[in-house]
Amino acid sequence: MENAEFDAIVVGSGISGGWAAKELTERGLKVLVLERGKDLRHGADYRGEHAQSWQLPYYGMPDRERNKREYPVQSKSYAFSDANVQFWNNDNDYPYIQTEGKPFDWHRADVVGGRSLLWARQVYRWSEQDFNANSSDGLGNPWPVSYQDIEPWYSYVEKFIGVSGQAEGLSQLPDSEFLPPMEYFALEKTIKGRLQKKLPNVPITIGRCAVLTQAHNGRAPCHYCGPCHRGCSTGSYFSSQSSTLPAANATGNLTLLSNKVVKRLQHDESGAQITGVETVDSQTGEHKVYTAKLFFLCASTLGSTQIMLNSASDKHPNGLANTSGALGKYLMDHAQVSHMAMFVDDVDSYYQGNRPNGLYIPRFRNVDKQDQDADFKRGYGYQAMTLRPDWQMSFNSRGFGAKYKESLRQPGAFWIWVMSSFVECLPYESNGVALHATKKDRFGVPQLVTQFDWGSNEKEAADDSGVQAAKVMRAAGAIGYQTNNHESLRPGGSGIHEMGTARMGDDPAKAVLNKHNQAHGIDNLFITDGSFMASSSCVNPSLTYMAFTARACDYAVKQFKAGKYSG
Amino acid sequence: MNRREFLQCAAVLVAGAGTVPSAWAMNREQSAFLAARPSYVKQQELTFFSVSQRSAVAAIAEQIIPETDTPGAAEAEVGQFVELMVADWFDDSERQFFMAGLAELESRAVGGFSNLSDAEQLALLEQVEDEVSDAPWFDLGSTLRVWDDSAPFICQLKELVVLGYFLSEVGAKQALQINPMGSFKGDIPLVDAASYAAEMPLRASFGEG
Repeated sequence: MENAEFDAIVVGSGISGGWAAKELTERGLKVLVLERGKDLRHGADYRGEHAQSWQLPYYGMPDRERNKREYPVQSKSYAFSDANVQFWNNDNDYPYIQTEGKPFDWHRADVVGGRSLLWARQVYRWSEQDFNANSSDGLGNPWPVSYQDIEPWYSYVEKFIGVSGQAEGLSQLPDSEFLPPMEYFALEKTIKGRLQKKLPNVPITIGRCAVLTQAHNGRAPCHYCGPCHRGCSTGSYFSSQSSTLPAANATGNLTLLSNKVVKRLQHDESGAQITGVETVDSQTGEHKVYTAKLFFLCASTLGSTQIMLNSASDKHPNGLANTSGALGKYLMDHAQVSHMAMFVDDVDSYYQGNRPNGLYIPRFRNVDKQDQDADFKRGYGYQAMTLRPDWQMSFNSRGFGAKYKESLRQPGAFWIWVMSSFVECLPYESNGVALHATKKDRFGVPQLVTQFDWGSNEKEAADDSGVQAAKVMRAAGAIGYQTNNHESLRPGGSGIHEMGTARMGDDPAKAVLNKHNQAHGIDNLFITDGSFMASSSCVNPSLTYMAFTARACDYAVKQFKAGKYSG
Repeated sequence: MNRREFLQCAAVLVAGAGTVPSAWAMNREQSAFLAARPSYVKQQELTFFSVSQRSAVAAIAEQIIPETDTPGAAEAEVGQFVELMVADWFDDSERQFFMAGLAELESRAVGGFSNLSDAEQLALLEQVEDEVSDAPWFDLGSTLRVWDDSAPFICQLKELVVLGYFLSEVGAKQALQINPMGSFKGDIPLVDAASYAAEMPLRASFGEG
């Protein structure tokens, strides 16, 4: 066989693929990482980093015509702008089909490092309650992994990535291995003090984020420029580019190829072992098969599932490892609703630097037991952001001349505080993806068809998040506020927390992967991106992908070294 | 504030709004790239407005943002920004609407807008604004969108002038202040009353949603 020099192939170099590359290479395996996106040099290619408004086309006003033409899905993201457009997927290059009336926004990067460059960097551990959710209320397939199983792996990845935050000792939000927390705004201290007195059951803490507050593993602390998603030369936020890929590279065991689109996986005659990866080079069109003994799919939730479905064969007629029929199903995202308040406290206080982080209000509904007044299962947390309005929110006033000009130079006479709820989404069989029967992309890969609806549970929890937010904002001393409800939910995928479609579970008749993220019936295939998730919790998922990836690599290498994957 | 506006506001806050000075521990190559990048208004030729349109827009811009103890619209090259945005950023119907509005305003300025006295210019602008004072553009919260193409001409022009001023190098550094980076302090006295400059308009985070 050709290219027998690789022990393992990792598909994708985003947050999960970077971790797989690091863990496998550090354990001595020769690893090939295949990345669909363009090459991107850490630092040198962050062309929008620290660019000023006047240096950007249209002074940074969005290029509406181009966005409509080339980035109709991607440009919906808050993180998309002219300062980082080169990181994003051109929607024309890799089309997919949204089912009419059941829209799903699929946000994708198209560079080495993937969405680890673009993520919001919020990291929260799942709790025991989260891992028990499916088995205790029956609204999902039981998790085969407990909090105790994954806890050491949370610690392991946190120590490497660097997580700033404050230990709180909450059962519903276990503490991480923390670097010092970031500072509060004066208003946030005021709000927290009032809530502690008036609503002691509502916890509030500084956001836990993978942004360094002190030097860590050779990376510099944050310099608080603000827009992390333009890329960070100092590596102050965790990304594959800043952290895991350099660590993997340092072992001498890493080969990374960009522009390699993985079309499908090949297996042996038995169908029980993967033998190779069929690729096409996005620039040259060259087709090539890469072989190895061990395979990790980390191509993103829908990306990995698309490869699994497109690898159907006589041995695996419904897609790889899909005797359960669960492949492509039980897609989830977090439902988000935002509520806003105005405060006139602390208006004589200002700030310096831009904190790339907010406050976090952990789940306080249905904690440990079902609340009497809750018509929904599970719960939600809030991410809260503080903003001092400026000329951009007040220019629409009357008048001309010096007085008008001066009024725009001043910070506004109030603060704005936004609470965005992140609602746990239940796994529904009807939400998911399938391959289109005839439509293919330019490389002949069948296009994914997405189908997604929020269920009544998400809608009721979203409504409740407005009711509770009003209580919180009143107790916090807001002079005015506005809450929202499920009518303001955006399409699935808007949270960019897509999860599921290759869920894990002990029973091969119900799940695609076992408790090691290993495909049922295909021992040398692992999937460790968001597709393995059997439920969604209400917290940001990336930390959990990283912990499961590291854990799966540890297991896979032990199997590899025991000679289980002869290839 | 309607639902869509509200969501847009939330998107901003989730995004965070950053501002930075010129260089901080950046990769040398990237730093050199930025340093060599001229202002947007200097990257393009101005060919769209007629001479009289150009001088009218410049005069209106200076009426909106005059020179005080800080520079005015002219020094910040606001007229150039407005011309480029109308020529390149607007779509056909927006451009048509804007040019019709400009023609109408000019037709009300006997002898050409830029030839009116200061007082006459201001009086005409105030009169034009009075005539549209019930436009939704003036509502609280109507700033939280990418662009309001249903706004009256005078409002659209004012908005372009304000954007062109406070996002320019002159406006950002002299009328506003650059947020010093290096650390985050969440509670310092508000002494210099000028807001921090935005290195990108908030509305860039809004998306079309």
